[in-house]
Amino acid sequence: MESLTIFLVLVALGFVFGKLAESRHYRSIHAREEMLVRLPTTSCKNPMGNNSPIIHAELVHGHVVISVDYFKQILAGLRSLFGGTIQSYETLLDRARREAMLRMKERCPTADQILNLRIETSSISKGENGDRIGSVEVLAYGTAIYFQQTSPPHP
Amino acid sequence: MFVSNIEEIPGKTITTCYGIVSGSTVRAKHVGRDIFASIKNIFGGELTAYTELLGESRDEALERMKAQAQQLGANAIVNVRFSTSSVAAGAAEIYVYGTAVTVE
Amino acid sequence: MNYQPSLPEYNDNVSHQQPLREFFVLMAGVVVFVLIGYWALGLVVDVAVDDLSPEQEAKLFPTLGIDWDVGEESMPQEQAKLQHLVEALNPCLSLPYPITVSLVKSDAVNAMALPGGKMVVFSGLLDAVSSTNGLMFVLAHELGHFKNRDHLRLMGRGLVLSILAMLAFGGDSGISDILASTINLRTAKYSQTRESQADHTALQALQCQFGHVGGATELFESLQSQETGHEFGFSHYFASHPELQQRIDDLHKFAQELGYAEKDPQKLIR
Repeated sequence: MESLTIFLVLVALGFVFGKLAESRHYRSIHAREEMLVRLPTTSCKNPMGNNSPIIHAELVHGHVVISVDYFKQILAGLRSLFGGTIQSYETLLDRARREAMLRMKERCPTADQILNLRIETSSISKGENGDRIGSVEVLAYGTAIYFQQTSPPHP
Repeated sequence: MFVSNIEEIPGKTITTCYGIVSGSTVRAKHVGRDIFASIKNIFGGELTAYTELLGESRDEALERMKAQAQQLGANAIVNVRFSTSSVAAGAAEIYVYGTAVTVE
Repeated sequence: MNYQPSLPEYNDNVSHQQPLREFFVLMAGVVVFVLIGYWALGLVVDVAVDDLSPEQEAKLFPTLGIDWDVGEESMPQEQAKLQHLVEALNPCLSLPYPITVSLVKSDAVNAMALPGGKMVVFSGLLDAVSSTNGLMFVLAHELGHFKNRDHLRLMGRGLVLSILAMLAFGGDSGISDILASTINLRTAKYSQTRESQADHTALQALQCQFGHVGGATELFESLQSQETGHEFGFSHYFASHPELQQRIDDLHKFAQELGYAEKDPQKLIR
């Protein structure tokens, strides 16, 4: 009976605080995306449009580790019994990816384009089967290029 | 919606670029298939249930990416890459991303 | 080629359903499944137990009577008397196989029925009852369990359920907790039903043996007077036996329905 109460308390805590953290994070992501959308990012190797000589190119990356809360874990466990899409993890991964890309862009705010974007995702967990700390690490990296007529690169 | 893995859509020219679009999905198979798979681990061979699971996930992720590209007004996606990871036991996460463009 | 910066308005990469609603729906689904599974497997266990003959049972569980440490003084005369009382109940209860009684010196007021036809009686029980009728009721209650093969039923259910739980859930701790509580609730209810049935069987045996049922509830009343304090509200749902007052009332009602009289019980001579 006690373990049931503890379980329900943990689920409630996970739900409340997880939801708070998520909405706060999404607000921040939306705001920064508005600001940084002017920096073109592609997965192509060739710079698009502009034929000017490139004076500087550097590898830039951004990464983030986001943890899953207890409510999400329980929901994922329940869902994996019945099959189907695990909705609780989708928001987690969406946030992590967008955050990683934003951090990458923030590394080179004066760049002209970011080319050859690649994204790596890995799941980090520690501990035995029942006590696993589930978290997701996303790494986004690409090459930032600076054309000749723009301002010199960030030192 | 044209989708390609190379820098361009062959035979067409790119006129506008919209940036990165992506699609992702996390799916799990139900517990019956999981039990069957753990038994299959003893004998070896293809786990058809999981092959199916990942196939469906990739299709759905591609659809989501195309939907996002359409929202931006693109009609093609170039330089598409896939990424698979396992985030929860028995569940697979598929991520596909590419550059949304308009071609003519 | 030019660049047109734009951001999608609608996020396709997430589902827009309410997570709480999904949680409740899935949880309800799991609980329903488990209850149905428990009921179905319970039926299977019942069929298996009814099929298992007493001789086969005796072969399967020959030494399951744990070797109790009988303490400094063993009580061979008392044990022989108990064995005699149990055998005296045989014509009234018609047991399928012989029962061996072990008496253990202990303060516990209890008696247990173990697989293989062994009954263990703790000497605290002898101290708690003052009439032969009361003692016979308790012995008849345990013999009633043997007759209904209750010990096998509960053991079979427990085994089947732990296998089911292991297969399905592996190590997922949170869900296992909720399901363990659901299963415990069901098992407790089932066990309480079997206990009442054993009470009824014992009452009928008492009527057959003595011609009246006086002294049947003596042990419960004696235990009740010793009970101190209030137990936590929900614990009686999870208890394996019904509450003492409930058992007393139930027995009185049953006696009335069957028209049993309650006369003075015989004094227990030790």
